[in-house]
Amino acid sequence: MAAKPKILLGKADEAIDLIFDEGTFVENKIANTYLEAELAPPVFAGEALLDGKLCTVLGNFSKRPNPRFRVVFNGVMGMEECYKFSQAIYATIEADEGKPLEEKRPVILLIDTPGNSPGKVEEIVGMTKATASYQFALEDARHAGHPVIGMIIGRAISGAFLCHGLLSDRIISLPKDYGTIVHVMPTTSIAVITKIPLERLNELVKTNPVFASGAEFVFKLGTLNEIIDTPEDIKPTLLRNIDEIRELKKAGKWDQLGIWHRGALGAERGGREVRQTAINKMDKEFKELLPSLLE
Amino acid sequence: MRVEWKELQEKSFYQATARERAIGLVDEGTFREFLGPRDKMVSPHLIVLGEAVEFDDGITVGVGKIGAHPVFVVSQEGKFVGGALGEVNGAKMAYTFKLAMDCYEALKEKYGSVPEDRKPIVIVSYDSGGVRLHESNAGLVAHSECMEMFWKMQNKVPNISITASSIGAYGAQGFVCMSGDVVLANDYGRIGLTGPEVIQQEVGKDEFDASDRALIWRTMGARAKYIMGDVDFLLPDTIGAFREQVMQIAHMPMAEIAKYRHLGTPDLVEENLSVVKLAGEKGFNDSKDYWKYMGMKDVEDIPEMPQEKFLKIAKRRQRGI
Repeated sequence: MAAKPKILLGKADEAIDLIFDEGTFVENKIANTYLEAELAPPVFAGEALLDGKLCTVLGNFSKRPNPRFRVVFNGVMGMEECYKFSQAIYATIEADEGKPLEEKRPVILLIDTPGNSPGKVEEIVGMTKATASYQFALEDARHAGHPVIGMIIGRAISGAFLCHGLLSDRIISLPKDYGTIVHVMPTTSIAVITKIPLERLNELVKTNPVFASGAEFVFKLGTLNEIIDTPEDIKPTLLRNIDEIRELKKAGKWDQLGIWHRGALGAERGGREVRQTAINKMDKEFKELLPSLLE
Repeated sequence: MRVEWKELQEKSFYQATARERAIGLVDEGTFREFLGPRDKMVSPHLIVLGEAVEFDDGITVGVGKIGAHPVFVVSQEGKFVGGALGEVNGAKMAYTFKLAMDCYEALKEKYGSVPEDRKPIVIVSYDSGGVRLHESNAGLVAHSECMEMFWKMQNKVPNISITASSIGAYGAQGFVCMSGDVVLANDYGRIGLTGPEVIQQEVGKDEFDASDRALIWRTMGARAKYIMGDVDFLLPDTIGAFREQVMQIAHMPMAEIAKYRHLGTPDLVEENLSVVKLAGEKGFNDSKDYWKYMGMKDVEDIPEMPQEKFLKIAKRRQRGI
């Protein structure tokens, strides 16, 4: 009988043990910077060794609440959480400033978050700014040469995925059998909101992955770079991707990394073809207009 | 019926269509649309689901001029599926930013460096609830494509956000809006990440009563955001007033415009985090708590008073650490 799949959803601590060198994860420390331990308890930000190489590791602990913000529970990204991740990223960039590309430490985002914290105080103060701040920090890290990899071990859902993962150089996912959830909303909820019968939606996802739920569907759209088979594959896959990303950055091949590259992948895989058609047409129209714009 | 450009200047921004806003914000007769309704590039996904489509997929994008500045405009139409982003309109939005960067590079090549009086400008008139659920996976990633381009535009191409239409800038569009350099609004503008209905559904009516209109306005509305420092300019509701403000910004050097930015640097992380900490410490549970903390009196009257009076009495968050 086959062994029961090892589910990592909600078990980031087990994922850290499985992926990184034993006992090397240190929370709230990035090089010489110490992050405030009291800030954002629902997330972890720190460093660990991956096959002897230092990485920055960011993710969510589903069971830790935030004593100051009551809707930050079950691994959602709140305001403190986004800003703590931003601080960790800036500390990472600072630590390796001026070093050659091969010495820029990788940033590994362990992805298991169901959403952005849906609270009133978040809206008053600005959850918008919090999530965008972290996204800009990740872009800073990517362009400073750090390999940034999103590793989906559990939930990669809607706004939380936009916040924590979608802008990575590469995104890797465990398959659905291991409990991963990759979507904006379950098909059942889409049926309620769009008033389209669930049976019809379930029939349609077979040929059109655009509103389907699951890694194998969004892979076709180019949202993911690869799907691995088992949790044991995480470590070697991360190591290979780190090397590949470094090589691409060294060669200046930025168009083969990040979110825009995955747009091209979506067209190649036949999942987002109309996007490419729209872009090509706009490009042509723009080129015709350009001389008048430069006058 | 074609509305004259001069008439558009007097028209309510709030009531204007996406195309009218786009045409009226730039110099008379200069707006050229990319992938306009004649191209009939509709959403194939809405067709499959048997839903109505629009020939522009609910967005007007293109380029016009203000003086010598090429001005790239993205204008969302909230009346079509709540202005939400799908594959086609998402591509149109994100790629317009890419073209603004291409234009920047072309100017740099021609002039050696981009002259301040020719720098390209991006304006986004937000009127969207975020991801279009009928094609959710494609709509989601389009937002990240916008964010990557916004990151690239920093300190090169001024990025002006306008929230002054019926839907506001909600959901993922809320954070895209806040990632612009300068944020403009009329009194009807709104910025939020999680909408009132979703908060009520996820957390409960004691957290947020979605039927309470006054609560919605003082939480996500433009005046609340002006006090919080998220809206930089609160304007009268005419297209002309917005155009006037855009022209003033266009005349500023890029380095001055960048000072309005709300996020994107380590210093701004600390600045924004200090407000989060304050809210956690004081236990703010209503915008009124924050307004009182800021030393404002008669907080009950704030939503209803005339804009001119509000602008005089508003005590805004001081920017900077």
